[in-house]
Amino acid sequence: MSSPLLSVSGLTKRYRRGVKIIAAVDDVSFHIETGETLALAGPSGSGKSTIARLVLRLVEPDAGRIRFEGEDFLALGGAALRSRRARLQMVFQDPLAAFNPRATVARVLDDPLRVHGIASRQERPRRIAALLERVGLTPDLAPRAIHEISGGQRQRVAIARAIATKPSLIVFDEAVSALDLSVRGQILRLLLDLQREERIAYLFISHDLGVISAIAHRVVILDAGTIAESGNARAVIDAPQSAIGKALVAATPRLNRTRP
Amino acid sequence: MNPLRRFLRVPEARAGVVILAALLAMALSASLFFPGDPQAIAGPALLPPFKDWSLPLGTDRLGRDVLAELFHGARTSLAVGIAAAAAALVIGAIIGTLAGFAGGLIDELLMRTTDAFQTVPSFLLALAFVSVVGPSLGVVVAAIALGAWTGPARVARAEVLSIRERDFVAGARVTGMHPLEIAFREILPNALPPVLALSSVIVAAAILTEAALSFLGLGDPNRVTWGGMIAEGRAVLRTAPFLSIIPGIALVLTVLGVYLAGEGVVETTAVRRSLS
Amino acid sequence: MTALLSIRDLTVTYRRDGGEVAALKDISLDIAAGERLAVIGESGSGKSTLALAVAGLLPASARVDGKIDWPGLGHTPLGGRDIGFVFQDPSASLDPVMPVGKQIAEVAYTHLGLGWPQAYAKARTLLERVRLPDPDAALHAFPHQLSGGQKQRVAIAAAIAAGPKLLIADEATSALDTIVQAEIVALVRQLVAADGMTLLFISHDIALAAELAERIAVFRYGGLIEIGAARQIVSAPRHAYTSSLLDAHLGLDAEPLSLQAGTPT
Ligand SMILES: Nc1ncnc2c1ncn2[C@@H]1O[C@H](COP(=O)(O)OP(=O)(O)OP(=O)(O)O)[C@@H](O)[C@H]1O
Ligand SMILES: Nc1ncnc2c1ncn2[C@@H]1O[C@H](COP(=O)(O)OP(=O)(O)OP(=O)(O)O)[C@@H](O)[C@H]1O
Ligand SMILES: [Mg+2]
Ligand SMILES: [Mg+2]
Repeated sequence: MSSPLLSVSGLTKRYRRGVKIIAAVDDVSFHIETGETLALAGPSGSGKSTIARLVLRLVEPDAGRIRFEGEDFLALGGAALRSRRARLQMVFQDPLAAFNPRATVARVLDDPLRVHGIASRQERPRRIAALLERVGLTPDLAPRAIHEISGGQRQRVAIARAIATKPSLIVFDEAVSALDLSVRGQILRLLLDLQREERIAYLFISHDLGVISAIAHRVVILDAGTIAESGNARAVIDAPQSAIGKALVAATPRLNRTRP
Repeated sequence: MNPLRRFLRVPEARAGVVILAALLAMALSASLFFPGDPQAIAGPALLPPFKDWSLPLGTDRLGRDVLAELFHGARTSLAVGIAAAAAALVIGAIIGTLAGFAGGLIDELLMRTTDAFQTVPSFLLALAFVSVVGPSLGVVVAAIALGAWTGPARVARAEVLSIRERDFVAGARVTGMHPLEIAFREILPNALPPVLALSSVIVAAAILTEAALSFLGLGDPNRVTWGGMIAEGRAVLRTAPFLSIIPGIALVLTVLGVYLAGEGVVETTAVRRSLS
Repeated sequence: MTALLSIRDLTVTYRRDGGEVAALKDISLDIAAGERLAVIGESGSGKSTLALAVAGLLPASARVDGKIDWPGLGHTPLGGRDIGFVFQDPSASLDPVMPVGKQIAEVAYTHLGLGWPQAYAKARTLLERVRLPDPDAALHAFPHQLSGGQKQRVAIAAAIAAGPKLLIADEATSALDTIVQAEIVALVRQLVAADGMTLLFISHDIALAAELAERIAVFRYGGLIEIGAARQIVSAPRHAYTSSLLDAHLGLDAEPLSLQAGTPT
């Protein structure tokens, strides 16, 4: 069998808090296959965002290995790392904070196309329009400032930015948590469409087990920086084995709809 | 409400703008009203003000028209003040951004340099620089900027340190942007407002430094400056005090105008912040 | 059923940038004494505006038409004493430079006419009631020394310190993780029952609302879409909008979206 798209082993990151040193992520290992969605769940402070940032090389680990597309991802640096970033993208929780406050929609989408030399200057406006259409927005949004569009539209722009460079893996850090229910449903469907058509894998961080069971193939449940359990999403949510898994399932509000 | 209207509702701002507008008008109209060389002899020496209406502010020891000198001096003061402040802000913003964004050794190096510049009094620095290189307008501007860029550098660095932790910077890195582009295209523009808030203080200080250099005879000798006029008048301070007092008043008003306008800007932006 | 308060034809308009935004349009509803009412709706539907109007905390830029009567109270309520308010962001309602014990004691001191020693004793009891670990130490803690969930417990303690008739929780658990959220919800439920308080619970999470509240009011675009018993709203919604909200909810048993039939894009 070929090696997985992303494999992480022994990943560790420590932070100093006052005089104590805490391991935000402690010896974590997992892998993601091409076109697969792996969810990370866990209570606040369990290390989900730190893992996302480590995988994206936004912070450097204290120990561990990351292999991505058959390469030692941690060995890359400088221009090589920057060019490889095209394949590994991220969508943030707060879509307003994730964009330069001075940016317009067009500029946000122009950056990846320009930086990675994907399209010539003349060609870019067309590509930007196509990207906007791909995520269900109209191209006339392009000249608008980021703060002039709605939260749901912003998150679509964030997704458009992420897919602009044709990545094989996108990391979502609580990317749908702040959205209204109806918008959230649309965005999740959009993600599934993209995955089906482009075979993009997702590392999907969420504390909402409902969302995870709707979108993820497998789930990893974290507690205090370590993996408490992992497995098929349906199986873990139906019968959690770890204490934290059980607590998460028990704490999730249930809607008992007795359908007619 | 548009920012300009809000700005003009602040009383300090209005006063500052009136003074600065008058000053600017003087500077711009200097060659219109006084087309000849302001350093040429225009009448009898030491004519007191308000005696001869063709020379309303009188003449100096060499019989030069004080009003013409005042107008042309406004030009030098404003030009040097604004150019030096602009240079200081640009240098400061660039160095502060680099230090804050790069961190580590580069930060250490740049900030120690900043410390070094800050410990030397900026006037001494300017004095030394001009005495070594020789007085000319460009040198004076450079000399003043040399002592004034440290404040903007510190403010820019502090701002950059907080901005670089924001998600959108992480987003730019994920996009694969070059670090220099992130620093100067993504971060710097967002770090500018507090740096620009320093500009009024720096312009005012630059104008005063220029006057002081000229007073000591280290200004550009080919230009009329208010500092130079005051120095000129010093020799006859007892008999013709107006020769020193008139440019002195102009200097005080200018600095006051810059300061008031700056206060107005601070006030308007503060109001806007508390509203949002 | 005696109504604690009764809202009639309430319309709230915000003035903004020269224009006007109608945040609530012609709302009429009663809140019974001792009941738990949840208000749900999407962002901007007017939930917070309703809460602020009830508490008399609307900003000066808001114009209010219609009226709110308090037959169950007999007098106009006093914020802090008759109404307790818990916000989404506890850091915003707690003073960052004052020990949390003092903040709670201050409420008791102001509204209950207690002396400072008694007010502090009350604060300690309250911290115990909201189940803060080590209440004696917590009295002297500053907000930044507490976790998000702990801060929210402190905010609840301060809100109930004066023994209010009505407790308003505006997205009070939205910033917390699921486990802490469940704890806080259980705490609120228990406190409300023990003190006979009325609860106005504002949330965008329909499942959470259904678990906690007896009645649910659904808001959209500033209008009251429907109001009814939680069970009825959830299993037999009268309004299509409510059904769409219910359909959009993803529970633990959510089928993978990719398997759901007829997924439009
Ligand atoms: N830059 C940092 N400096 C110090 N400590 C940090 C830093 N980033 C994270 N931590 C700590 O690491 C731990 C894990 O944080 P992380 O943000 O990864 O949690 P999370 O699972 O994403 O939580 P949440 O659900 O609240 O977003 C926390 O205890 C946090 O305080
Ligand atoms: N102080 C204000 N000034 C002007 N407009 C306001 C103000 N507060 C709220 N609004 C507007 O009133 C409408 C209702 O806002 P409200 O905060 O009540 O909604 P909400 O249901 O609480 O939303 P959310 O779920 O996002 O908290 C929105 O259109 C909002 O933009
Ligand atoms: Mg996180
Ligand atoms: Mg609200």
